[in-house]
Amino acid sequence: MSDAPTDDQTEDAAPPPPDPEREELVAALRRDLGDWLIEHVNANGDLWVRVDRKAWLKAGEVLREKHGFDYFCFLSGIDWLNNAELVQRYEQVWDPDAEAAGDGAADEGPYVGGRVAGGDTRFQVFARVYNVQRKLGITLKADLDDANPSVDSWVTVYRGADWHEREAWEMYGFEFAGHPGLRHIYLPVEFEGFPLRKDFALLARVVKPWPGLVDKEPVPGEDEEEGAEEAAPA
Amino acid sequence: MGLVEKGWLPKPLTKVLNSARRYSVWIYQWGLACCAIEMGSALASPRYDVMRLGVIPFPASPRQADLLVVSGTLTDKLAPSLRRLYEQMPDPKYVISMGSCANCGGPYWDSYSVTKGCDQIVPVDVYVPGCPPRPEALLEGIVLLQQRIGDEDMAERWKGEPPVVAGPTNSGVVVGGGPIA
Amino acid sequence: MTVTEPQQLAYIAGQAAEARLRFELETEGMTLNIGPQHPATHGTLRIIVRLDGEQVVWADPSCGYMHRGYEKLAEVRKYQQVTTLVNRIDWLSSFCNEVPFILAAEQLYEVEAPPRAQWIRTLLFEMGRIANITLFLGEMGVQLGAITPVFYAFRDREHVLNLIEAATGGRFHPNYDRVGGLKDDLPKGWVEETKAVMDKVREFCDQMEDLLLGNEIFERRMRGIGVIPARVGLGYGLSGANIRASGVDWDIRRDEPSVLAWKDCDWKVWTHTDGDSFARYWVRLQETREAAKLVDQLCDGLPSGPIMAKMPARLRVPKGEAWVHTENPLGEMGYYVVSDGGPSGPFRCKIRSASFNNISILPWILRGVYVPDVITILSSLYFILGDIDR
Repeated sequence: MSDAPTDDQTEDAAPPPPDPEREELVAALRRDLGDWLIEHVNANGDLWVRVDRKAWLKAGEVLREKHGFDYFCFLSGIDWLNNAELVQRYEQVWDPDAEAAGDGAADEGPYVGGRVAGGDTRFQVFARVYNVQRKLGITLKADLDDANPSVDSWVTVYRGADWHEREAWEMYGFEFAGHPGLRHIYLPVEFEGFPLRKDFALLARVVKPWPGLVDKEPVPGEDEEEGAEEAAPA
Repeated sequence: MGLVEKGWLPKPLTKVLNSARRYSVWIYQWGLACCAIEMGSALASPRYDVMRLGVIPFPASPRQADLLVVSGTLTDKLAPSLRRLYEQMPDPKYVISMGSCANCGGPYWDSYSVTKGCDQIVPVDVYVPGCPPRPEALLEGIVLLQQRIGDEDMAERWKGEPPVVAGPTNSGVVVGGGPIA
Repeated sequence: MTVTEPQQLAYIAGQAAEARLRFELETEGMTLNIGPQHPATHGTLRIIVRLDGEQVVWADPSCGYMHRGYEKLAEVRKYQQVTTLVNRIDWLSSFCNEVPFILAAEQLYEVEAPPRAQWIRTLLFEMGRIANITLFLGEMGVQLGAITPVFYAFRDREHVLNLIEAATGGRFHPNYDRVGGLKDDLPKGWVEETKAVMDKVREFCDQMEDLLLGNEIFERRMRGIGVIPARVGLGYGLSGANIRASGVDWDIRRDEPSVLAWKDCDWKVWTHTDGDSFARYWVRLQETREAAKLVDQLCDGLPSGPIMAKMPARLRVPKGEAWVHTENPLGEMGYYVVSDGGPSGPFRCKIRSASFNNISILPWILRGVYVPDVITILSSLYFILGDIDR
């Protein structure tokens, strides 16, 4: 099966090398999805496409049936919440002047900026599928409503999405409409909370903050025991 | 035998019985994570062969095992199973906690789903540190356990007391074990 | 009113006959719980199967018994610390887990490691592949009742692990990559020893072929069991040898541009058309041989030079997102790393692990299968629990 050869990389200083294969794919998607294709980024030899959440299922169908993206790589979510208090709670004590130099994320507003393929809300679902014949991959993203993060399920299009959606529900709380049964996959049934959300605190770190560099601890009782316990320093 | 429970067993006989027990330890296969592979190397590999110590890694059923080696990360989801299977083992039984995940949670000390140390679930006799501990470190832990078994006072154990170690031994920590990544 | 004795006896006989009939017909609905602690499940996987006699009607794998929360832990650690952690996902070929993460971090940092570092990374990657798959080749036999191959596997793996330990300091969990290069250079004489060990690996592959592949019991138990058609496999996201055994000619080492050294070597991608358990075993056996060949070529062509790129002292990671995936021994492993420009580590690190997708096909494939074949299929799909559960 011959794939359309991409142009060889003519090294221009500013504009990236032309990528006709991916541009053609984006144009085809634009024809299929119309206004629901919000933006695309073609960088580093890879393609990101952001669609409206109402078009999530349609985008999957179009990619699989029309463009031959039959390999399902993964589906997950991102929580873009930017919370200065959280950052401080987890910061590493031994790098104090790093944040002083910060063109920090704090001035970006409620959500972390500078994202590839944008994002206007806190929660974003993203998935990656691949065309094995043409060796092309595409990352799809969709913003979800903050208060009620839900989107259509991809189970009818990609069977493997079943478990990935269960995981995304478990970790973030996303609802997938049409999924046969959203239940826990990794965590025990009694688990409360959605761990990968930024406001889910790791209690071990809160109770005892990381102390940073610690001086070598004194070796316990070398002279006491006859068994000659020599502790190996870490 | 009523003699053992009443503590009437003479010392030399205790020693003989103990050494019969220490050289025929059967390990219950409880391999969880990466440490299980090192345990597998220690048990099944011809290089670090553990059978020469009298330890046989055959039983897949807890009902026939003496020793439980918890090797790998213990998660909250699995902890009830560990307790249940530990209770199915007949007395006298021993536990070796292998690797830093089983000792104290290890590199996942701050995780939301990891039990920070299997000694929260089962009483541990010997801790083998390392991530993962080399097979030789596990063998040293087993040898240490065998020394403890040899010095055990069986009367106390039959009465349900925690094992009193009657002779001079090291404490139940293997030091200097394995690479700490 | 009294019942006479003959009536009583007739009544009892009638009840017994009816009970016998009912008992013989009740074969459905036995639920068998395989795991989470079971010698055949390679760790803590629990599969709940509902049986009708000897056949599986419905299977539900329940994972999560080794879930350690990698993605959350990565968010509160720096890149170097995440490298240490990430070793432990696929714990048989630990170096292979570090590489895609470090490559993603390097993409975000916008640095590139020097050629010698990339070649050494490829070299250790392939050795990790050998370490991983030799164990599979051995313990596939154990799952079917042939105990000898696993002893050979453990013995021959030791040679590879010794080499990895000589170079990196750890038998597994080497933690050898740094952003921009490697921790140390290779020790003296390492390259010659590696070539000698590759001969042993090839010998081991020949032994496995002798012992297992030609064995009639092995063939009868593996051929035609667990057939995965290519389209179904791709829909579930099966990768690696699992999908190549179903005829899909796809190998990330060859098909994706990468900074690592595979493009500079001459090697072949093996596929098989059957898609059954035997095909998966066969493909992995050939891949091990191919990996040994790759290691030889990489040893021969190793460029000299520095192993660490020049990095500025105080480095901040610019904002961005990077996706890097590689052909790990278990399948396709990839990291989607998001950086928010802060001093600490990744903002979000999505780990795409191969076994999670490989196991998601179990409910589909185990229907109608006999109980002993459940074990065969599980083993031939070959997963590592840390890879499923992260």
